[in-house]
Amino acid sequence: MQLTSEYLERAIEQLSKLPGTGRKSAQRIAIHLLKQNDEYALKLANAIIDLKQKVIRCSTCGNVSDADPCNICDNSKRENGQICVVEEFNDVYIIEKTNEFRGRYHVLGGVISPMDNVGPDQLKIQDLLKRVGGNEHIKEVILALNPDAEGEATSYYINKLLTPYEVKVTRIAYGIPMGTELEFIDEATLSRAFTSRSAF
Amino acid sequence: MQIKALKLQNFRNHESTLVDWLPHLNVITGPNGAGKTSLIDAIHYLCMSRSFVSNSDQYVILQGESYFMLKGDFSGTVRSEFEVACSYSRGDGKKIFVNDGPLDRLSDLIGMVPVVVLSPDDKRLTREGPIERRSFLDSFISQISNQYLRDLLDYRRIRRQRNSLLQQYANAPHMLEMYLEPWNKQLVDAGASIVDARHKVLEKFKAYLAQDYAMISGMNLTTDLEYKTFCDASVGIEDIKKQYYDKLAESQEKEIEREQTLVGPHRDEIVFYLGDRELRQYGSQGQHRLFALSLKLAQLHYYSDELDDLPIFMLDDVFGDLDPQKTQILLEALKNHPGQIFITSANPVPFEDVIEFDGERNQLIRIEQAEIVGKE
Repeated sequence: MQLTSEYLERAIEQLSKLPGTGRKSAQRIAIHLLKQNDEYALKLANAIIDLKQKVIRCSTCGNVSDADPCNICDNSKRENGQICVVEEFNDVYIIEKTNEFRGRYHVLGGVISPMDNVGPDQLKIQDLLKRVGGNEHIKEVILALNPDAEGEATSYYINKLLTPYEVKVTRIAYGIPMGTELEFIDEATLSRAFTSRSAF
Repeated sequence: MQIKALKLQNFRNHESTLVDWLPHLNVITGPNGAGKTSLIDAIHYLCMSRSFVSNSDQYVILQGESYFMLKGDFSGTVRSEFEVACSYSRGDGKKIFVNDGPLDRLSDLIGMVPVVVLSPDDKRLTREGPIERRSFLDSFISQISNQYLRDLLDYRRIRRQRNSLLQQYANAPHMLEMYLEPWNKQLVDAGASIVDARHKVLEKFKAYLAQDYAMISGMNLTTDLEYKTFCDASVGIEDIKKQYYDKLAESQEKEIEREQTLVGPHRDEIVFYLGDRELRQYGSQGQHRLFALSLKLAQLHYYSDELDDLPIFMLDDVFGDLDPQKTQILLEALKNHPGQIFITSANPVPFEDVIEFDGERNQLIRIEQAEIVGKE
Protein backbone atom coordinates (compact mmCIF):
# COMPACT_ATOMS: atom_id res chain seq x y z
CA MET A 1 0.00 0.00 0.00
CA GLN A 2 1.23 3.50 -0.84
CA LEU A 3 0.23 6.34 1.44
CA THR A 4 -0.73 9.54 -0.31
CA SER A 5 -1.07 11.65 2.83
CA GLU A 6 1.01 11.41 5.91
CA TYR A 7 -1.40 13.88 7.63
CA LEU A 8 -4.45 11.74 6.97
CA GLU A 9 -2.64 8.75 8.37
CA ARG A 10 -1.69 10.71 11.48
CA ALA A 11 -5.31 11.78 12.06
CA ILE A 12 -6.56 8.22 11.67
CA GLU A 13 -4.01 7.00 14.15
CA GLN A 14 -5.05 9.54 16.78
CA LEU A 15 -8.77 8.98 16.21
CA SER A 16 -8.44 5.24 16.50
CA LYS A 17 -7.24 5.73 20.08
CA LEU A 18 -10.71 6.99 21.06
CA PRO A 19 -12.77 4.54 23.10
CA GLY A 20 -14.97 2.27 20.99
CA THR A 21 -13.29 3.43 17.80
CA GLY A 22 -11.47 0.90 15.70
CA ARG A 23 -9.31 1.65 12.68
CA LYS A 24 -12.22 1.44 10.28
CA SER A 25 -14.36 3.93 12.18
CA ALA A 26 -11.33 6.19 12.57
CA GLN A 27 -10.88 6.17 8.80
CA ARG A 28 -14.51 7.06 8.30
CA ILE A 29 -14.32 9.95 10.76
CA ALA A 30 -11.09 11.27 9.26
CA ILE A 31 -12.53 11.23 5.75
CA HIS A 32 -15.69 12.91 7.02
CA LEU A 33 -13.62 15.66 8.65
CA LEU A 34 -11.63 16.13 5.48
CA LYS A 35 -14.84 16.87 3.61
CA GLN A 36 -16.00 19.57 6.09
CA ASN A 37 -15.15 23.25 5.75
CA ASP A 38 -12.26 24.85 7.62
CA GLU A 39 -14.53 26.54 10.15
CA TYR A 40 -15.88 23.26 11.45
CA ALA A 41 -12.41 21.76 11.82
CA LEU A 42 -11.25 24.80 13.73
CA LYS A 43 -14.25 24.68 16.05
CA LEU A 44 -13.66 21.01 16.79
CA ALA A 45 -9.97 21.53 17.43
CA ASN A 46 -10.66 24.47 19.75
CA ALA A 47 -13.32 22.53 21.62
CA ILE A 48 -10.81 19.80 22.33
CA ILE A 49 -8.14 22.25 23.46
CA ASP A 50 -10.60 24.15 25.69
CA LEU A 51 -11.78 20.88 27.15
CA LYS A 52 -8.27 20.10 28.28
CA GLN A 53 -7.19 23.61 29.26
CA LYS A 54 -10.27 25.27 30.70
CA VAL A 55 -12.20 22.55 32.46
CA ILE A 56 -11.09 22.33 36.06
CA ARG A 57 -12.10 20.47 39.20
CA CYS A 58 -14.15 22.30 41.80
CA SER A 59 -11.98 22.54 44.91
CA THR A 60 -15.01 22.02 47.14
CA CYS A 61 -16.84 19.06 45.66
CA GLY A 62 -14.42 17.66 43.07
CA ASN A 63 -16.90 18.00 40.21
CA VAL A 64 -15.78 19.20 36.78
CA SER A 65 -16.40 22.90 36.24
CA ASP A 66 -15.34 26.01 34.34
CA ALA A 67 -15.10 28.00 37.54
CA ASP A 68 -14.07 27.32 41.11
CA PRO A 69 -16.35 26.86 43.04
CA CYS A 70 -18.59 25.11 40.54
CA ASN A 71 -22.09 26.42 39.89
CA ILE A 72 -23.69 23.79 42.12
CA CYS A 73 -21.48 24.66 45.10
CA ASP A 74 -21.97 28.35 44.30
CA ASN A 75 -25.76 28.15 43.98
CA SER A 76 -27.35 29.66 47.09
CA LYS A 77 -30.74 28.18 46.19
CA ARG A 78 -29.55 24.62 46.70
CA GLU A 79 -30.00 23.04 50.09
CA ASN A 80 -27.01 23.09 52.38
CA GLY A 81 -27.92 20.24 54.68
CA GLN A 82 -27.37 17.33 52.29
CA ILE A 83 -24.30 15.97 50.52
CA CYS A 84 -24.59 13.23 47.94
CA VAL A 85 -21.37 11.19 47.62
CA VAL A 86 -20.68 9.78 44.15
CA GLU A 87 -17.86 7.92 42.46
CA GLU A 88 -17.27 10.11 39.41
CA PHE A 89 -18.45 13.42 37.95
CA ASN A 90 -20.61 11.70 35.35
CA ASP A 91 -22.69 10.33 38.26
CA VAL A 92 -23.48 13.96 39.20
CA TYR A 93 -24.72 14.51 35.69
CA ILE A 94 -26.94 11.41 35.86
CA ILE A 95 -28.44 12.38 39.24
CA GLU A 96 -28.92 15.99 38.16
CA LYS A 97 -31.00 14.84 35.21
CA THR A 98 -33.54 13.34 37.63
CA ASN A 99 -34.24 16.76 39.23
CA GLU A 100 -34.81 14.81 42.44
CA PHE A 101 -31.89 15.99 44.51
CA ARG A 102 -31.44 19.65 45.46
CA GLY A 103 -28.49 19.38 47.83
CA ARG A 104 -24.73 19.40 47.21
CA TYR A 105 -22.38 16.79 45.80
CA HIS A 106 -19.07 15.26 46.67
CA VAL A 107 -17.13 13.46 43.94
CA LEU A 108 -14.69 10.86 45.28
CA GLY A 109 -12.83 10.33 42.02
CA GLY A 110 -13.08 6.55 42.23
CA VAL A 111 -13.70 3.75 44.72
CA ILE A 112 -11.41 1.75 46.98
CA SER A 113 -9.78 -1.05 45.02
CA PRO A 114 -6.55 -2.41 46.51
CA MET A 115 -5.71 -4.52 43.48
CA ASP A 116 -5.66 -1.37 41.35
CA ASN A 117 -3.66 0.39 44.06
CA VAL A 118 -6.52 2.70 44.95
CA GLY A 119 -6.83 3.23 48.70
CA PRO A 120 -8.72 5.88 50.71
CA ASP A 121 -5.81 8.29 50.34
CA GLN A 122 -6.14 8.32 46.57
CA LEU A 123 -9.78 9.42 46.91
CA LYS A 124 -11.31 12.65 48.17
CA ILE A 125 -12.43 11.09 51.44
CA GLN A 126 -10.47 13.43 53.76
CA ASP A 127 -12.01 16.38 51.89
CA LEU A 128 -15.45 14.95 52.61
CA LEU A 129 -14.68 14.71 56.33
CA LYS A 130 -13.46 18.32 56.30
CA ARG A 131 -16.70 19.43 54.68
CA VAL A 132 -18.82 17.52 57.17
CA GLY A 133 -16.81 18.85 60.11
CA GLY A 134 -16.69 22.39 58.66
CA ASN A 135 -19.30 25.11 58.48
CA GLU A 136 -21.58 23.77 55.77
CA HIS A 137 -24.18 22.67 58.39
CA ILE A 138 -24.46 19.22 56.86
CA LYS A 139 -27.16 17.03 58.38
CA GLU A 140 -27.19 14.11 55.97
CA VAL A 141 -24.60 12.32 53.85
CA ILE A 142 -26.19 10.26 51.08
CA LEU A 143 -23.98 7.49 49.68
CA ALA A 144 -24.78 6.86 46.01
CA LEU A 145 -22.01 4.47 44.96
CA ASN A 146 -22.40 1.44 42.72
CA PRO A 147 -23.64 -1.68 44.52
CA ASP A 148 -20.58 -3.80 43.61
CA ALA A 149 -17.84 -5.08 45.93
CA GLU A 150 -15.71 -1.94 45.61
CA GLY A 151 -18.64 0.45 46.00
CA GLU A 152 -19.80 -1.45 49.07
CA ALA A 153 -16.35 -1.41 50.67
CA THR A 154 -16.04 2.33 50.04
CA SER A 155 -19.51 3.05 51.50
CA TYR A 156 -18.70 0.93 54.54
CA TYR A 157 -15.40 2.74 55.06
CA ILE A 158 -16.90 6.23 54.74
CA ASN A 159 -19.78 5.34 57.04
CA LYS A 160 -17.28 4.20 59.65
CA LEU A 161 -15.26 7.40 59.40
CA LEU A 162 -18.41 9.49 59.76
CA THR A 163 -19.58 7.86 63.01
CA PRO A 164 -17.94 10.48 65.27
CA TYR A 165 -19.72 13.31 63.43
CA GLU A 166 -23.24 14.39 64.15
CA VAL A 167 -24.57 13.53 60.75
CA LYS A 168 -27.07 11.09 59.36
CA VAL A 169 -25.55 8.65 56.85
CA THR A 170 -27.93 7.14 54.32
CA ARG A 171 -27.55 5.24 51.07
CA ILE A 172 -29.74 5.18 47.99
CA ALA A 173 -32.18 2.25 47.88
CA TYR A 174 -31.50 -0.83 45.81
CA GLY A 175 -34.41 -2.50 44.14
CA ILE A 176 -36.63 -3.13 41.21
CA PRO A 177 -35.99 -1.05 38.10
CA MET A 178 -39.04 0.80 36.80
CA GLY A 179 -40.89 -0.79 33.93
CA THR A 180 -39.83 -4.37 34.64
CA GLU A 181 -41.80 -7.28 36.00
CA LEU A 182 -40.93 -9.23 39.14
CA GLU A 183 -40.65 -12.37 37.08
CA PHE A 184 -37.55 -11.08 35.31
CA ILE A 185 -35.71 -9.76 38.37
CA ASP A 186 -32.75 -11.79 39.56
CA GLU A 187 -32.75 -13.17 43.10
CA ALA A 188 -30.00 -10.90 44.41
CA THR A 189 -31.81 -7.73 43.34
CA LEU A 190 -35.14 -8.98 44.61
CA SER A 191 -33.81 -9.93 48.02
CA ARG A 192 -32.06 -6.54 48.24
CA ALA A 193 -35.35 -4.90 47.35
CA PHE A 194 -36.99 -6.75 50.23
CA THR A 195 -34.37 -5.72 52.78
CA SER A 196 -34.58 -2.09 51.74
CA ARG A 197 -38.37 -2.00 51.43
CA SER A 198 -40.11 1.16 52.57
CA ALA A 199 -43.43 2.02 54.19
CA PHE A 200 -46.31 2.45 51.77
CA MET B 1 -34.88 -29.43 28.35
CA GLN B 2 -34.01 -30.48 24.87
CA ILE B 3 -31.83 -29.19 22.06
CA LYS B 4 -33.66 -29.55 18.76
CA ALA B 5 -31.08 -28.36 16.26
CA LEU B 6 -27.42 -27.41 16.34
CA LYS B 7 -25.18 -25.42 14.03
CA LEU B 8 -21.38 -25.19 14.24
CA GLN B 9 -19.09 -22.89 12.33
CA ASN B 10 -15.29 -23.00 12.59
CA PHE B 11 -15.64 -24.87 15.84
CA ARG B 12 -12.71 -27.20 16.59
CA ASN B 13 -12.44 -29.35 13.45
CA HIS B 14 -15.94 -28.50 12.16
CA GLU B 15 -15.90 -25.94 9.39
CA SER B 16 -19.64 -25.94 8.98
CA THR B 17 -21.94 -28.58 10.42
CA LEU B 18 -25.69 -28.54 10.82
CA VAL B 19 -27.71 -31.11 12.74
CA ASP B 20 -31.36 -30.31 12.25
CA TRP B 21 -32.92 -33.19 14.15
CA LEU B 22 -31.94 -34.24 17.67
CA PRO B 23 -34.34 -36.65 19.40
CA HIS B 24 -34.31 -38.14 22.91
CA LEU B 25 -31.24 -40.33 22.54
CA ASN B 26 -28.37 -39.58 20.19
CA VAL B 27 -25.38 -41.84 19.68
CA ILE B 28 -22.57 -40.15 17.76
CA THR B 29 -20.10 -42.56 16.28
CA GLY B 30 -17.12 -42.44 13.96
CA PRO B 31 -13.35 -42.94 13.88
CA ASN B 32 -11.00 -41.24 16.34
CA GLY B 33 -10.56 -37.57 15.57
CA ALA B 34 -13.72 -37.39 13.45
CA GLY B 35 -15.24 -34.62 15.58
CA LYS B 36 -17.66 -36.54 17.82
CA THR B 37 -16.68 -34.84 21.05
CA SER B 38 -16.66 -31.46 19.29
CA LEU B 39 -20.32 -31.89 18.54
CA ILE B 40 -21.32 -32.34 22.17
CA ASP B 41 -18.76 -29.78 23.33
CA ALA B 42 -20.62 -27.29 21.12
CA ILE B 43 -23.79 -28.08 23.07
CA HIS B 44 -21.85 -27.65 26.30
CA TYR B 45 -20.76 -24.20 25.12
CA LEU B 46 -24.35 -23.21 24.53
CA CYS B 47 -25.27 -24.33 28.06
CA MET B 48 -22.24 -23.22 30.10
CA SER B 49 -20.49 -20.68 27.83
CA ARG B 50 -17.33 -22.76 27.88
CA SER B 51 -15.78 -26.00 26.68
CA PHE B 52 -15.64 -29.09 28.84
CA VAL B 53 -12.52 -30.24 27.00
CA SER B 54 -10.33 -27.18 26.49
CA ASN B 55 -9.59 -24.46 29.00
CA SER B 56 -9.11 -21.71 26.48
CA ASP B 57 -11.61 -20.35 23.97
CA GLN B 58 -9.01 -19.53 21.36
CA TYR B 59 -7.86 -23.11 20.94
CA VAL B 60 -11.40 -24.04 20.06
CA ILE B 61 -11.36 -22.03 16.82
CA LEU B 62 -10.75 -24.04 13.64
CA GLN B 63 -7.15 -23.67 12.57
CA GLY B 64 -6.57 -20.75 10.22
CA GLU B 65 -9.85 -19.02 11.13
CA SER B 66 -10.40 -15.99 13.34
CA TYR B 67 -13.76 -16.82 14.95
CA PHE B 68 -16.23 -19.55 15.77
CA MET B 69 -19.99 -19.42 15.95
CA LEU B 70 -22.52 -21.81 17.49
CA LYS B 71 -26.29 -21.86 17.44
CA GLY B 72 -28.77 -24.12 19.15
CA ASP B 73 -32.56 -24.31 19.19
CA PHE B 74 -33.82 -25.36 22.59
CA SER B 75 -37.19 -26.21 24.00
CA GLY B 76 -38.25 -26.77 27.57
CA THR B 77 -41.17 -26.46 29.93
CA VAL B 78 -40.23 -23.22 31.69
CA ARG B 79 -39.15 -21.46 28.49
CA SER B 80 -40.87 -23.15 25.62
CA GLU B 81 -38.79 -22.37 22.51
CA PHE B 82 -35.62 -20.32 22.40
CA GLU B 83 -32.38 -19.96 20.52
CA VAL B 84 -28.94 -19.61 22.09
CA ALA B 85 -25.99 -18.42 20.01
CA CYS B 86 -22.38 -18.13 21.06
CA SER B 87 -19.67 -16.41 19.11
CA TYR B 88 -16.03 -15.93 19.84
CA SER B 89 -13.36 -14.04 17.96
CA ARG B 90 -9.89 -13.06 19.01
CA GLY B 91 -10.70 -9.36 18.77
CA ASP B 92 -14.18 -9.22 20.25
CA GLY B 93 -14.01 -12.07 22.74
CA LYS B 94 -17.02 -14.17 23.62
CA LYS B 95 -20.62 -13.14 23.16
CA ILE B 96 -23.82 -14.97 23.99
CA PHE B 97 -27.18 -14.20 22.44
CA VAL B 98 -30.53 -15.55 23.60
CA ASN B 99 -33.20 -15.08 20.94
CA ASP B 100 -30.87 -12.59 19.24
CA GLY B 101 -30.60 -10.44 22.38
CA PRO B 102 -27.06 -10.17 23.73
CA LEU B 103 -26.51 -11.23 27.37
CA ASP B 104 -24.79 -8.57 29.49
CA ARG B 105 -23.14 -11.18 31.67
CA LEU B 106 -22.05 -14.60 30.47
CA SER B 107 -23.00 -15.87 33.92
CA ASP B 108 -26.67 -15.19 33.13
CA LEU B 109 -26.57 -18.13 30.75
CA ILE B 110 -25.69 -20.67 33.43
CA GLY B 111 -28.70 -22.68 34.52
CA MET B 112 -30.84 -21.79 31.51
CA VAL B 113 -30.11 -25.21 30.03
CA PRO B 114 -28.83 -27.53 32.77
CA VAL B 115 -26.27 -30.05 31.58
CA VAL B 116 -24.41 -33.03 33.05
CA VAL B 117 -21.28 -34.40 31.35
CA LEU B 118 -19.64 -37.75 31.89
CA SER B 119 -16.16 -37.82 30.39
CA PRO B 120 -12.85 -39.66 30.71
CA ASP B 121 -11.58 -36.61 32.64
CA ASP B 122 -13.92 -37.48 35.51
CA LYS B 123 -11.31 -39.75 37.00
CA ARG B 124 -9.57 -36.60 38.21
CA LEU B 125 -12.58 -35.86 40.43
CA THR B 126 -11.77 -38.47 43.03
CA ARG B 127 -8.01 -38.85 42.55
CA GLU B 128 -6.59 -35.36 42.20
CA GLY B 129 -6.48 -32.43 44.62
CA PRO B 130 -9.42 -30.64 46.27
CA ILE B 131 -9.65 -28.03 43.51
CA GLU B 132 -11.23 -30.68 41.23
CA ARG B 133 -13.96 -31.40 43.74
CA ARG B 134 -14.59 -27.74 44.46
CA SER B 135 -15.02 -26.98 40.79
CA PHE B 136 -17.36 -29.96 40.37
CA LEU B 137 -19.42 -28.68 43.28
CA ASP B 138 -19.38 -25.09 42.01
CA SER B 139 -20.57 -26.02 38.58
CA PHE B 140 -23.13 -28.35 40.17
CA ILE B 141 -24.72 -25.71 42.40
CA SER B 142 -24.33 -22.82 39.95
CA GLN B 143 -26.63 -24.55 37.52
CA ILE B 144 -29.40 -24.80 40.08
CA SER B 145 -28.84 -21.48 41.87
CA ASN B 146 -27.98 -18.22 40.17
CA GLN B 147 -27.51 -16.68 43.59
CA TYR B 148 -24.75 -19.21 44.32
CA LEU B 149 -22.92 -18.33 41.13
CA ARG B 150 -23.16 -14.65 41.97
CA ASP B 151 -21.85 -15.23 45.50
CA LEU B 152 -19.00 -17.23 44.03
CA LEU B 153 -17.99 -14.47 41.62
CA ASP B 154 -18.31 -11.83 44.36
CA TYR B 155 -16.30 -13.95 46.76
CA ARG B 156 -13.50 -14.43 44.24
CA ARG B 157 -13.26 -10.70 43.62
CA ILE B 158 -13.41 -9.74 47.29
CA ARG B 159 -10.71 -12.28 48.10
CA ARG B 160 -8.43 -10.84 45.42
CA GLN B 161 -8.96 -7.32 46.81
CA ARG B 162 -8.30 -8.56 50.31
CA ASN B 163 -5.14 -10.41 49.26
CA SER B 164 -3.86 -7.21 47.61
CA LEU B 165 -4.37 -5.35 50.89
CA LEU B 166 -2.56 -8.05 52.83
CA GLN B 167 0.36 -7.75 50.46
CA GLN B 168 0.45 -3.95 50.47
CA TYR B 169 0.15 -3.44 54.22
CA ALA B 170 2.07 -6.42 55.51
CA ASN B 171 4.38 -3.96 57.27
CA ALA B 172 1.68 -1.74 58.74
CA PRO B 173 -0.70 -4.07 60.59
CA HIS B 174 -2.41 -1.17 62.36
CA MET B 175 -3.51 0.45 59.09
CA LEU B 176 -4.31 -2.94 57.68
CA GLU B 177 -6.94 -3.68 60.28
CA MET B 178 -8.89 -0.56 59.43
CA TYR B 179 -8.64 -1.16 55.70
CA LEU B 180 -9.56 -4.84 55.94
CA GLU B 181 -12.79 -4.27 57.82
CA PRO B 182 -15.00 -3.28 54.83
CA TRP B 183 -13.76 -6.31 52.89
CA ASN B 184 -14.13 -8.70 55.81
CA LYS B 185 -17.83 -7.99 56.05
CA GLN B 186 -18.34 -8.75 52.37
CA LEU B 187 -16.06 -11.78 52.48
CA VAL B 188 -18.09 -13.18 55.36
CA ASP B 189 -21.44 -12.43 53.70
CA ALA B 190 -20.56 -14.08 50.37
CA GLY B 191 -18.44 -16.85 51.94
CA ALA B 192 -21.11 -17.85 54.47
CA SER B 193 -23.74 -18.10 51.73
CA ILE B 194 -21.41 -20.37 49.75
CA VAL B 195 -20.69 -22.62 52.73
CA ASP B 196 -24.37 -22.83 53.65
CA ALA B 197 -25.36 -23.74 50.07
CA ARG B 198 -22.59 -26.33 49.74
CA HIS B 199 -23.59 -27.96 53.00
CA LYS B 200 -27.26 -28.14 52.11
CA VAL B 201 -26.70 -29.51 48.62
CA LEU B 202 -24.18 -32.12 49.74
CA GLU B 203 -26.45 -33.33 52.54
CA LYS B 204 -29.13 -34.06 49.98
CA PHE B 205 -26.66 -35.36 47.42
CA LYS B 206 -25.39 -38.17 49.69
CA ALA B 207 -28.48 -40.28 49.17
CA TYR B 208 -28.34 -39.93 45.39
CA LEU B 209 -24.69 -40.92 45.36
CA ALA B 210 -25.29 -44.02 47.47
CA GLN B 211 -28.16 -45.13 45.29
CA ASP B 212 -26.31 -44.68 42.01
CA TYR B 213 -23.13 -46.33 43.23
CA ALA B 214 -25.13 -49.35 44.34
CA MET B 215 -26.91 -49.47 41.00
CA ILE B 216 -23.81 -49.24 38.83
CA SER B 217 -21.48 -51.41 40.92
CA GLY B 218 -24.09 -54.00 41.90
CA MET B 219 -22.34 -54.12 45.27
CA ASN B 220 -23.33 -53.36 48.79
CA LEU B 221 -20.36 -51.15 49.70
CA THR B 222 -21.87 -47.98 51.14
CA THR B 223 -20.68 -44.60 49.95
CA ASP B 224 -20.45 -41.47 52.00
CA LEU B 225 -19.02 -38.00 51.77
CA GLU B 226 -17.86 -35.42 54.24
CA TYR B 227 -17.91 -31.71 53.62
CA LYS B 228 -14.86 -30.15 55.22
CA THR B 229 -14.81 -26.44 55.77
CA PHE B 230 -13.46 -24.03 58.39
CA CYS B 231 -16.53 -24.18 60.61
CA ASP B 232 -19.65 -26.13 61.52
CA ALA B 233 -21.67 -25.66 58.34
CA SER B 234 -24.86 -27.23 59.65
CA VAL B 235 -25.93 -24.36 61.88
CA GLY B 236 -27.45 -21.99 59.34
CA ILE B 237 -26.12 -18.91 57.65
CA GLU B 238 -26.17 -16.47 60.57
CA ASP B 239 -24.16 -18.80 62.82
CA ILE B 240 -21.75 -19.56 59.99
CA LYS B 241 -21.10 -15.81 59.77
CA LYS B 242 -20.34 -15.63 63.49
CA GLN B 243 -17.89 -18.50 63.27
CA TYR B 244 -16.36 -16.93 60.16
CA TYR B 245 -15.63 -13.65 61.97
CA ASP B 246 -14.07 -15.54 64.86
CA LYS B 247 -11.86 -17.61 62.58
CA LEU B 248 -10.77 -14.51 60.65
CA ALA B 249 -9.78 -12.81 63.88
CA GLU B 250 -7.90 -15.92 65.00
CA SER B 251 -5.98 -16.20 61.75
CA GLN B 252 -5.18 -12.55 61.28
CA GLU B 253 -1.54 -12.84 62.31
CA LYS B 254 -1.03 -15.80 60.04
CA GLU B 255 -2.80 -14.05 57.18
CA ILE B 256 -0.47 -11.07 57.52
CA GLU B 257 2.52 -13.36 57.64
CA ARG B 258 1.45 -15.32 54.56
CA GLU B 259 -0.04 -12.25 52.83
CA GLN B 260 -3.20 -14.02 51.77
CA THR B 261 -6.71 -14.93 52.83
CA LEU B 262 -6.57 -18.19 54.73
CA VAL B 263 -10.14 -18.69 55.94
CA GLY B 264 -13.00 -19.41 53.60
CA PRO B 265 -14.71 -21.75 51.17
CA HIS B 266 -11.81 -21.44 48.69
CA ARG B 267 -10.06 -24.00 50.87
CA ASP B 268 -12.95 -26.42 51.25
CA GLU B 269 -12.59 -30.13 50.64
CA ILE B 270 -15.00 -32.99 50.07
CA VAL B 271 -13.83 -36.38 51.27
CA PHE B 272 -15.39 -39.44 49.67
CA TYR B 273 -15.73 -42.74 51.46
CA LEU B 274 -16.32 -46.24 50.20
CA GLY B 275 -17.26 -48.59 52.99
CA ASP B 276 -15.42 -47.03 55.92
CA ARG B 277 -12.28 -46.20 53.97
CA GLU B 278 -11.27 -43.00 52.30
CA LEU B 279 -11.59 -43.48 48.55
CA ARG B 280 -8.74 -41.18 47.55
CA GLN B 281 -6.27 -43.15 49.67
CA TYR B 282 -7.49 -46.68 49.35
CA GLY B 283 -9.69 -46.93 46.26
CA SER B 284 -8.73 -49.31 43.45
CA GLN B 285 -8.72 -48.14 39.80
CA GLY B 286 -12.08 -49.75 39.22
CA GLN B 287 -13.59 -48.23 42.35
CA HIS B 288 -12.42 -44.75 41.33
CA ARG B 289 -13.94 -45.19 37.90
CA LEU B 290 -17.30 -46.36 39.22
CA PHE B 291 -17.33 -43.67 41.89
CA ALA B 292 -16.75 -40.90 39.35
CA LEU B 293 -19.47 -42.38 37.18
CA SER B 294 -21.84 -42.47 40.16
CA LEU B 295 -21.09 -38.84 41.02
CA LYS B 296 -22.29 -37.75 37.58
CA LEU B 297 -25.30 -40.06 37.56
CA ALA B 298 -26.20 -38.73 41.00
CA GLN B 299 -25.90 -35.18 39.66
CA LEU B 300 -28.25 -36.12 36.84
CA HIS B 301 -30.80 -37.63 39.20
CA TYR B 302 -30.51 -34.78 41.68
CA TYR B 303 -31.21 -32.25 38.90
CA SER B 304 -34.06 -34.36 37.59
CA ASP B 305 -35.79 -34.18 40.98
CA GLU B 306 -34.88 -30.59 41.74
CA LEU B 307 -35.41 -28.76 38.46
CA ASP B 308 -38.51 -28.12 36.41
CA ASP B 309 -36.61 -29.00 33.26
CA LEU B 310 -34.62 -32.21 32.89
CA PRO B 311 -30.92 -31.65 32.20
CA ILE B 312 -29.22 -32.66 28.97
CA PHE B 313 -26.97 -35.64 29.71
CA MET B 314 -23.76 -36.20 27.74
CA LEU B 315 -21.53 -39.26 27.88
CA ASP B 316 -18.23 -38.67 26.14
CA ASP B 317 -16.32 -41.81 25.29
CA VAL B 318 -17.06 -43.61 28.57
CA PHE B 319 -18.15 -47.01 27.35
CA GLY B 320 -14.71 -48.19 26.27
CA ASP B 321 -13.69 -48.27 29.91
CA LEU B 322 -16.57 -50.37 31.21
CA ASP B 323 -16.96 -54.13 31.26
CA PRO B 324 -19.94 -55.63 29.36
CA GLN B 325 -22.04 -56.03 32.51
CA LYS B 326 -21.63 -52.40 33.64
CA THR B 327 -22.23 -51.24 30.08
CA GLN B 328 -25.48 -53.15 30.11
CA ILE B 329 -26.56 -51.65 33.45
CA LEU B 330 -25.73 -48.12 32.33
CA LEU B 331 -27.51 -48.49 29.01
CA GLU B 332 -30.62 -49.83 30.69
CA ALA B 333 -30.58 -46.88 33.08
CA LEU B 334 -30.24 -44.49 30.14
CA LYS B 335 -33.06 -46.11 28.22
CA ASN B 336 -35.40 -45.40 31.10
CA HIS B 337 -34.17 -41.85 31.63
CA PRO B 338 -36.74 -39.37 30.30
CA GLY B 339 -34.28 -36.53 29.56
CA GLN B 340 -32.26 -35.99 26.40
CA ILE B 341 -29.01 -37.96 26.07
CA PHE B 342 -25.89 -37.68 23.89
CA ILE B 343 -23.33 -40.46 23.66
CA THR B 344 -20.07 -40.40 21.73
CA SER B 345 -18.30 -43.65 20.99
CA ALA B 346 -15.84 -44.85 18.37
CA ASN B 347 -17.56 -48.20 18.45
CA PRO B 348 -21.36 -48.43 17.97
CA VAL B 349 -21.50 -52.14 18.78
CA PRO B 350 -22.55 -52.09 22.48
CA PHE B 351 -25.57 -49.93 21.66
CA GLU B 352 -26.98 -51.83 18.77
CA ASP B 353 -28.19 -54.77 20.89
CA VAL B 354 -29.91 -52.60 23.48
CA ILE B 355 -31.18 -49.62 21.55
CA GLU B 356 -33.35 -49.68 18.50
CA PHE B 357 -32.26 -46.83 16.25
CA ASP B 358 -35.51 -45.77 14.66
CA GLY B 359 -34.46 -42.20 13.89
CA GLU B 360 -37.58 -41.03 15.74
CA ARG B 361 -36.73 -41.45 19.41
CA ASN B 362 -33.24 -42.92 19.10
CA GLN B 363 -30.79 -41.70 16.50
CA LEU B 364 -27.38 -42.92 15.41
CA ILE B 365 -25.22 -40.21 13.83
CA ARG B 366 -22.13 -41.25 11.89
CA ILE B 367 -19.33 -38.71 11.56
CA GLU B 368 -16.21 -38.78 9.42
CA GLN B 369 -13.75 -35.89 9.11
CA ALA B 370 -16.14 -33.48 10.79
CA GLU B 371 -18.97 -34.25 8.45
CA ILE B 372 -22.15 -36.16 9.05
CA VAL B 373 -22.06 -39.12 6.70
CA GLY B 374 -25.09 -41.04 7.89
CA LYS B 375 -28.07 -41.12 10.22
CA GLU B 376 -30.18 -44.02 11.38
